[in-house]
Amino acid sequence: MKLSELKENQNAVVAKLDGDNRFISRITSIGLTPGCRLQVVKNDRNRPVLVYSRDTMIALNRKECSGIEVTEL
Amino acid sequence: MSEKVTIALLGQPNSGKSTLFNALTGLHQHVGNWPGKTVEKKEGSFSYGGRDYELADLPGSYSLSANSDEEVITRDFIASGKADVVCILTDSSQLERSLFMAADYAGITVPCMLILNMADVAAAQGKKIDAGLIEQKLGVPVVLFSANDKKGYAPFYNALERAVAEKKTLDTASLEALYEKIPRYSEVKKLMPEDLIPGYSPMWLAAKTLENDPVVLAKLKNTLDVETVSRIDGYRKGVQGAVETGGAKFSWIDGILAGAVTEKKENLTLGRLDRIYTHKTWGKPAVVLTILLGLIASFIPALPLMGFGKVFGMLKEPVTAALTSAGCPDFIISIICTVFIQSLSYIFQMLGFVFGVTLVFGLLEEIGVMARVSYVFDNTMGKLGLQGKSVMPFLVSFGCTMGGAAGTRVIDNWGQKVLTIALAWAVPCGAAWAVIPMLSSLFFGPGAVLVIVVILLTMLLHMWITAKIFGRGLVKEEDRYGMIMELPPYHKPKWGALFRYVLGRTKDTFVRVTKVVLLVCAIFWLISYSFSADSVPLLYRIGTAIEPVTKLFGLNWQLFVAFIASSVGKEGALGVISALFTGGNFAGAFNQAMSGGGVASNLNEILLSNVTKPEALAFIFAITFNMPCVVALAATYQEIHSAKWTAKIAVYYTLTALLLAAIAYRIGLVIF
Repeated sequence: MKLSELKENQNAVVAKLDGDNRFISRITSIGLTPGCRLQVVKNDRNRPVLVYSRDTMIALNRKECSGIEVTEL
Repeated sequence: MSEKVTIALLGQPNSGKSTLFNALTGLHQHVGNWPGKTVEKKEGSFSYGGRDYELADLPGSYSLSANSDEEVITRDFIASGKADVVCILTDSSQLERSLFMAADYAGITVPCMLILNMADVAAAQGKKIDAGLIEQKLGVPVVLFSANDKKGYAPFYNALERAVAEKKTLDTASLEALYEKIPRYSEVKKLMPEDLIPGYSPMWLAAKTLENDPVVLAKLKNTLDVETVSRIDGYRKGVQGAVETGGAKFSWIDGILAGAVTEKKENLTLGRLDRIYTHKTWGKPAVVLTILLGLIASFIPALPLMGFGKVFGMLKEPVTAALTSAGCPDFIISIICTVFIQSLSYIFQMLGFVFGVTLVFGLLEEIGVMARVSYVFDNTMGKLGLQGKSVMPFLVSFGCTMGGAAGTRVIDNWGQKVLTIALAWAVPCGAAWAVIPMLSSLFFGPGAVLVIVVILLTMLLHMWITAKIFGRGLVKEEDRYGMIMELPPYHKPKWGALFRYVLGRTKDTFVRVTKVVLLVCAIFWLISYSFSADSVPLLYRIGTAIEPVTKLFGLNWQLFVAFIASSVGKEGALGVISALFTGGNFAGAFNQAMSGGGVASNLNEILLSNVTKPEALAFIFAITFNMPCVVALAATYQEIHSAKWTAKIAVYYTLTALLLAAIAYRIGLVIF
């Protein structure tokens, strides 16, 4: 499923990244690589999705995170 | 020994890079642009232990890929060999993520050291970090400290001196072992030429090749024969290289941190403040309230300077009296009082505001609040091609455009900074709000409310169109990415460094603004002064000569001259009008344009008997959307350090103001 489909407080693991070079490099550099665990902190419409991963609170624009496939835990 | 050492700071945004840079260099810094690029360049210098250091602050980026100007500049700088040592900054409270920059650096042969910054935040989270063990594993000097702790710099300097003396590079064996597990890595590495880019090892190049790095691929294409290139292309196919190398880099980081970091695992909860900022309904109001409170707070440190400016302006009368009684010629008195004293008084008052805004919003940036602002307004501002943070300069500009311009220093992308200022100019400032309601209610009675509503709507439209026009050149399409950003933990500011920085910034602004304002005021004085009793000022001749043209915009020559004067300062537009319609002294009128005084007591009658309703409407739009004032112009130049873009914005605003005036006039003619 897509990252943005997760609900608040759900835990998941990144399964797959899809997108152009720049997106992949950007999303990797902030720590979201396949196999990485994350927790959704906030997921409100019209706001970036807030996830917590690798000790970091990360804000992801909704459009950008459509390229992140996750497996729910 | 006395040879200068150049060090470069490399780190992701929010790693505390600018705090360290400011603390090390204090006032010895120079801000400009990288040649030919829309990226800010910060350099500085400092001395320690009898050695002089040059410090280059590399543009903030998350990695060393070549996807943005910032990253390309950073890589070119490292390859240039100018840096003797590169200091890689990381956030100790988020080592796992922020060590990524070090992992991306591994394989570069320029000596480096690692700074585990924000030790205080990590300690507060209950993390224990063994810097010694990390140093053993990496093979370069590692220091754990807090850049915001003034007393804690000894370990940093110590590590820096070791790095300079030992010139060690990152130990890459364990990372390469991980890379070798990636399909095709070994094959690609064998084909890498030794000196493709100076300073970058074949291992690093092979990883970047797999990551489809555009710059490395282009270099390979130019260096290698066609057959080898096509072999490399074949290897790259079918491998999601960047994902693979990214995974390897994080595995490497896990290995480095194993045993070096112990922490109490806590359940994640949002702090109370963050629960408000991230709230679906209350987030935006909370952010707007924060900015407005910040705006009010800006006035507290601003007041002394503002008071000084006012008092300075009061010198005009005694100075005039003294000079007159000393028999000084009128035009010298006029130059001293109108140009020098009035300009400086005005500048001091505005500067107070800049000082306050830079301090308060610099503080909000440093403690992490601005990142939340970015989050809340990401969607809205993204539509204009801007970061969420840009909402702050816009709101500040309702008070004073100069403050808005100064506030853009928290925007880390130069193009977006220029675009933000360009749009902030469309926001009617406090001086405009002092004039618009008065004029509107005089001419349109209760209709004034409607005029103000239309002005606000025009402002939004203006910003939208301006974003379209300027956005293309300033914010490239490929840079228009939605937010992928960390929200840093709140942390304590470093007051000393912040104050020194703000003072330095205010001083720089003062010098630059004074130059521009004096120049512009001197020009206005020259064209508006009557050098002898029977000669008319140049401005009058020009104004009346082009009146047939300005009439098209609904402005007769008096209103047009007042419009021109409002580019200097909007406060006094009414003073200029009353001087012109009553045959007053021109030079005095410009003096009033900045002091905001000199309105004739019968201004209402003067206006109503000389100006028609459509003309009044045209004039209101013309001065509202004219360039804010000469000080804002100078502040814009100070912030974006590009004379070209400052001039572009100024000319654009003068022309669009006239265009809007013409439209308002035509509509007015239909209505009234």
